[in-house]
Amino acid sequence: MAARAPVVPARRENIAAAWWRTNATALLFMGPAAVLVVLFFFVPVVITLGLSVTDAATSTGLSNWKWIGLDNYDQIFRGSFTMLIIRNTLFYVVVTLAFNVLVGLGVALLSTHVEAKAGGFFRAVWLLPRISPSAVYAIMWVWAAAGPPFGIMNDVLSPVGVTPRDWLNTDPWVIVILVNGFVGASLGMLVFTSAINSIPEDLFRAARVDGASAWQIVRRITLPLIRWPVLFVLVYQTMSLMASYEYILLTTNGGPGLYTTEVWSLWAFHTALSNYYGNLEFGLGAAMAAGLVVIGLVVSFTMLRLFRFDELVGDPRVEIT
Amino acid sequence: MSNSGDRRVKREALRISRRQFLVGTGALVAAAACSTAPGGQPQGGTTPGGTTPGGTVKLTAWTIGPDAPSFYRKDNLVSAVATLNKELEKENPKTTVELDATFESGGQWGDYLQKFQLAAEAKQAPDIVLAGHENFAPWVGPGYVIALDDLLKKHESKFKDVIPTLWDAMKLKGKTYAIPQDTEARPMYYRKDLLPKLGWSKEKIDGLADAVQKGEFAMPDLLATAKEAVDKGVVEAGKGWYPRPTKGHDHYMFYYMHGGEMQDKASGKLVIVPAALEKYYGIYSNAVQTNVTSKTHIGSDFKIWHQTVTAGKVLFYNAGTWTWKEWSSVYKIPETELFEKVGYTLIPAAQKGGKPTTLSHPLAYMVTANSKAPELAFRLLAHATTPELNSRHSVESAHLAILKTQQDDATYKKDKFLLATGYMSDFSTFIPNHPKYGAYDEVLFRFLSGVATGQLTPKAATDQAVAELKNQLRDELITK
Repeated sequence: MAARAPVVPARRENIAAAWWRTNATALLFMGPAAVLVVLFFFVPVVITLGLSVTDAATSTGLSNWKWIGLDNYDQIFRGSFTMLIIRNTLFYVVVTLAFNVLVGLGVALLSTHVEAKAGGFFRAVWLLPRISPSAVYAIMWVWAAAGPPFGIMNDVLSPVGVTPRDWLNTDPWVIVILVNGFVGASLGMLVFTSAINSIPEDLFRAARVDGASAWQIVRRITLPLIRWPVLFVLVYQTMSLMASYEYILLTTNGGPGLYTTEVWSLWAFHTALSNYYGNLEFGLGAAMAAGLVVIGLVVSFTMLRLFRFDELVGDPRVEIT
Repeated sequence: MSNSGDRRVKREALRISRRQFLVGTGALVAAAACSTAPGGQPQGGTTPGGTTPGGTVKLTAWTIGPDAPSFYRKDNLVSAVATLNKELEKENPKTTVELDATFESGGQWGDYLQKFQLAAEAKQAPDIVLAGHENFAPWVGPGYVIALDDLLKKHESKFKDVIPTLWDAMKLKGKTYAIPQDTEARPMYYRKDLLPKLGWSKEKIDGLADAVQKGEFAMPDLLATAKEAVDKGVVEAGKGWYPRPTKGHDHYMFYYMHGGEMQDKASGKLVIVPAALEKYYGIYSNAVQTNVTSKTHIGSDFKIWHQTVTAGKVLFYNAGTWTWKEWSSVYKIPETELFEKVGYTLIPAAQKGGKPTTLSHPLAYMVTANSKAPELAFRLLAHATTPELNSRHSVESAHLAILKTQQDDATYKKDKFLLATGYMSDFSTFIPNHPKYGAYDEVLFRFLSGVATGQLTPKAATDQAVAELKNQLRDELITK
């Protein structure tokens, strides 16, 4: 027995060495990406969760904070604004998402059904909001929507009978959704254009030979064949919109009135990183952000399940050689 | 050798073993980690308060700006260096002070305060920082700024001239953390050229400020006059009274006028008086319902606000004394025209016979814990706190005197507007110094916005605001 004892570690060593020989290259190639994912995805979530159970604020600095358990979460749940801001967030995400996808799809369909150069130019114009610096783009909207006697929107719309107004104050959601929507629609437009262009031309020719109308071609051929890109844009934009607040910050800043356009991520920003009198509440803001992480995870998994993501990434049923 | 053979040889030469790859990558990462940028040093390469071999002490100071026409907040510190150095020469000829004073954050308060906090945490704060008096309240806990009581005691004679009430705004829990830099009043301005259209005589117009001071013309009278102006078409709907369109201290004058309190002197806790809060919200609600103020007013653009009032389209409007100079320097209205067409008074009392009010928000210089030479930084502030320097700031920017002897200063005495508004200091109120004041203000302003846009009644807003204040501030709030 005593003579056989060293054999087991030696065998284990061999197994480990063999495993390493087999997987080392894969691990080395995956390593950099895995480190980035851990550093920039998991670590921030862990820090946010940790911070959310402290009273860290400007008034405590980064050295005098205390653990306070779930007090921040308790404060959020009891808050007078919480339900209002949840409703705002839902409204903002759903309506902007609908705008992004429908307009993106419309532009993609139109620009792929005209002459190629004209379509390319049309898409380039639609990309302008996305390639403009966010702050410049938002400030242009603020100026365009300014109250009378200012504002390009008033100049353009008053001749057709729209009463001149201070759009950011009278119709804040319209501006917020348009500002975000035009940027979001350009992403959908790119993805859908690429998907439409990848549909084999034969299918369209065959449909035309069979006498299908333009609408029937779109309805029966194009839309079913770009189902996955549409679902991808839906999921991606939902996540993106839930976490986005920069255009709202730069246009209405959550107002006018009582948190009229304040969404959850902007609320967290205002609490943790922007206070008129300088007392930033990092702990409370982190609890708000943690809530967003949880909601984001739930929505992601639900959507991936609902849209059968496993089928999207599964092996193709027909192998093309 | 064939081409394929060449390529194979080259590939062999480029091939590295797994061990070489790991060692190489590790070395690269280590080299990147060790190659530190010179970010540990503050701008200009000087350590705050650090000394150079020649005995020169280099101080740094941040003031918000450029904030035309208040540039003397920085320039007065620069001017004070010369007189401080003369004083130091007598004590030790080898020691001199150099100052690197800068405007920061382009006049944006939120960015400025955040920048200071980040600098303080990174031990890169300047020796001196200028901020609103209430801003030091959250900075005391983490020790970003130092208490000045010992230094004030040691250099008592240099600050005897400061108007005593201003020191109240410089304290937190009995300790003094700041030196007043300037102060102001926030009057109710009115158009003298519009009131005659309502049948007001010149005597009545000229006597309005006096009537307000005596409590004979109260806030309900003002709102009724504004409504009359709207109804008669003297001003457009919504332009009878223009309160501040954004978040800020001015709104609280209408809370104070109804007996509102914000801080308990004994405990230092924040205070809310629901009855006063409801009446304060009621003023805005009433103004909106009677078309005196537009329901889109709160949240509108401040630049457009200034353009509208300077165009003479609004009957009554609230702003600080400093805006008087802004209207001439930024909006190019000659001061003679302002005197001819614009009047100014205290904020009328809530009811006839009551006491009018105004609010002052002194800015203040603080010495940071990061300073290696806090006493020299403090002494520099003493040299910047003189009638000559403060008067030139007052006159240039329409800020009121912080020193008693400024009233006798030749420069100050020449300024008609400052002399005419100086009495308002006696009616001044302040916002509180409390670390949680930011949260308190956020709740009250958001509900004010809700009332002003017609989303909530004053009663509903008050009930919800008090509940939310209790939720957020807990035992740091006293409800009266």
